Amino acid sequence: MRRGLIARSLVELPDAVFDARLDRVRAAMQTAQFDALVIYTNNTRPAGVSWLTGFVPYWSEAVLVVPRQGGPYLVAALSFRVKPWIERVSRVDDVLHTPRIGLKAAQQIAATRVDAAVGIVDFDGLPAGIAEDLREGGLQLTLHDASALFASLRTVADQAEIALASRAADIGLRALSAAQGNTLNDMIAGVEGEARQLGAEEIYIAAVPDLDRDTRFRRIEGEVALGKTFALRATVAYKGTWVRLVRSMCEAAIMREVSARFAQAVASLPSGRGFAGFRSWLVEGCRMAQPLDPLIGSRLGEGHPPLPGALVSVQAALAVDGQAVLLGAPALIGQPGAASSLIANLLYD
Amino acid sequence: MLAEERRARLVAAMREAGIGHMVLYGNAWQGDYLRFGADFGILEGHGIALIAADGEVALFLDSATDAERAEIEAPQVKVHLAPDIARVVGARLDRVANAHIAAAPRRFLPRWLTDATRSFKLDDATAVVDRLLMHKSAGEIAAVRRAAQIADEAYVEFLRAVRPGRRQYEIVADIEAHLRRKGCPDNFMIIGSGGKDVFGMTPPSERRIAAGDLVTTELTPAVEGYFAQICRTLVVGKASEAQRRAFAVFVEALEAGIAAVRPGARAADVAKAENDVFRNYGLGEYTTSQWTRVRGHGMGMFADSKPHILEDVDTVLEPGMTLIVHPNTYHPDAGYIVLGDAIVVTEDGAEVLCKTPRQLFEVAA
Repeated sequence: MRRGLIARSLVELPDAVFDARLDRVRAAMQTAQFDALVIYTNNTRPAGVSWLTGFVPYWSEAVLVVPRQGGPYLVAALSFRVKPWIERVSRVDDVLHTPRIGLKAAQQIAATRVDAAVGIVDFDGLPAGIAEDLREGGLQLTLHDASALFASLRTVADQAEIALASRAADIGLRALSAAQGNTLNDMIAGVEGEARQLGAEEIYIAAVPDLDRDTRFRRIEGEVALGKTFALRATVAYKGTWVRLVRSMCEAAIMREVSARFAQAVASLPSGRGFAGFRSWLVEGCRMAQPLDPLIGSRLGEGHPPLPGALVSVQAALAVDGQAVLLGAPALIGQPGAASSLIANLLYD
Repeated sequence: MLAEERRARLVAAMREAGIGHMVLYGNAWQGDYLRFGADFGILEGHGIALIAADGEVALFLDSATDAERAEIEAPQVKVHLAPDIARVVGARLDRVANAHIAAAPRRFLPRWLTDATRSFKLDDATAVVDRLLMHKSAGEIAAVRRAAQIADEAYVEFLRAVRPGRRQYEIVADIEAHLRRKGCPDNFMIIGSGGKDVFGMTPPSERRIAAGDLVTTELTPAVEGYFAQICRTLVVGKASEAQRRAFAVFVEALEAGIAAVRPGARAADVAKAENDVFRNYGLGEYTTSQWTRVRGHGMGMFADSKPHILEDVDTVLEPGMTLIVHPNTYHPDAGYIVLGDAIVVTEDGAEVLCKTPRQLFEVAA
């Protein structure tokens, strides 16, 4: 459950940013003839609703209703007592509180137009109980999958989101630079504390304690011995924008070499050809509501190649003279004909 | 070992209910059902575990990062990376469509899997798994007990971290760093600070701690996936007489609630015992949903599990259940106050797991 700083910044996310995003969504709704759009959120799938309102549920669940005309409102399972907090940290016209959020949302939509056409983002993945309640609350509503409509808008980052990702990347870099101490837990504590002191909304830390034995990341519980070389991964959220960074603790000369190779490979995205010769690679980004959906990579087959202008996080593994090295950083996919670029430095203090 | 024990209990419950295949859903918010069967603490995306009658587990995850983590953290289950998770799981279920298949918690499953046009039908087995989640084995209680000890230690750290001028999120950062240093990977906590203008706890804000503040928190660290909670309140500076008098009501209510815990009692009886104390002081209004959510709740693989301690919840308490009793609410003379201890229901009452004194703490202003 989310326990970092959740606060709205009118500088980083001014009203104009949300207005511009809502205008684009409403224009697409007009074309699709949707009277309302419904987007579900919980702390695993916050990135659709937070993009339009700034709201991130630290707990529980909600749906955002975007009428084609009128302001967006939230129907939240969080109790009424949390209403002032929601209004403080997000930008919505109203917040309605009920345990049956699907039922209430449908009733509200139907009150405006009994046979409204309702687009639902990630309709297939919507929790079954909420889908059943949407049908019960609006028997004459027609429910449509609005995933493609929303993904076409959500996938490409605007300047505000790029700035938030840069800030999240900076938090991740500084946090991974704070990985100090004699034990792995000391280092993880350093990363965790630094990220949260810098205002991270969330941080997930995983480690590969010994790169000579295994290159897969895991969450650490209890005491774990460190190998000669090891790696840490920080997944950082800052005001609804998520990035992943990976730092391998190995010789500086090796890091310089692999960092250059990694940056070169990232430049070739969305083509994965730059990663030929890597052991594995993965590109993640937001398509609808999950902050870091798998897009393309060595385990993914065809996948969903990121669009020009998309923010992504890239992880890769390679070997230098038999030494396994893991890297990861956020990047911005270049416009057609232009190279993609990292938005974080890969060389740590 | 705990994972094997849980899976054996799940398979036995499936057999008893005539369930051939169990579908368990989880995400980072509601991950307990999935973890019970698959022993994986999900952080990102959706997870669905298919449990066969022979105990074989297939775990499907739509996050590539979590799928890699599951391979190493849950080596006894077969992990599948499935970006289109509903359809991949659906294809698996097509193969066993003639069997009795049930799901928990069914209402959270991707809608596509419950659509009437599927070849299979998913019955709701949430109550079957809820019963397993509520009734802890000795090994599970031991994990909750260790988590409660970590919660006590973390509250000592909290007392050190709260100083005038510090922002709420900086305090939480200290606690989270402390827990990671101790090898504790997960925690849930919320915080409140201020005076009579504060009506509850939320994630941390940028508000700075000030002299005279009441600072409330609930800390909920996890050990091997089992959460234990503690709730305490402190004053920055010297507590006023009004704050002391108000806090005494909460101590009395907590003691009354814990005294009501015994096998055969209902969750409602515990809530009523707590609320009656407030009523006796003319504060009955502050036991309603306008001011407070629950008077405690179950604890285990979810930080806020069943049963909820409310006067309309008839769940009967049985030995092995782990709960927190917390009469947290607003007091008109002092503001929002929290006080709560983790307990385990024993054969003849309750064992209190939290050792932190039930006092209104004071830190330097």
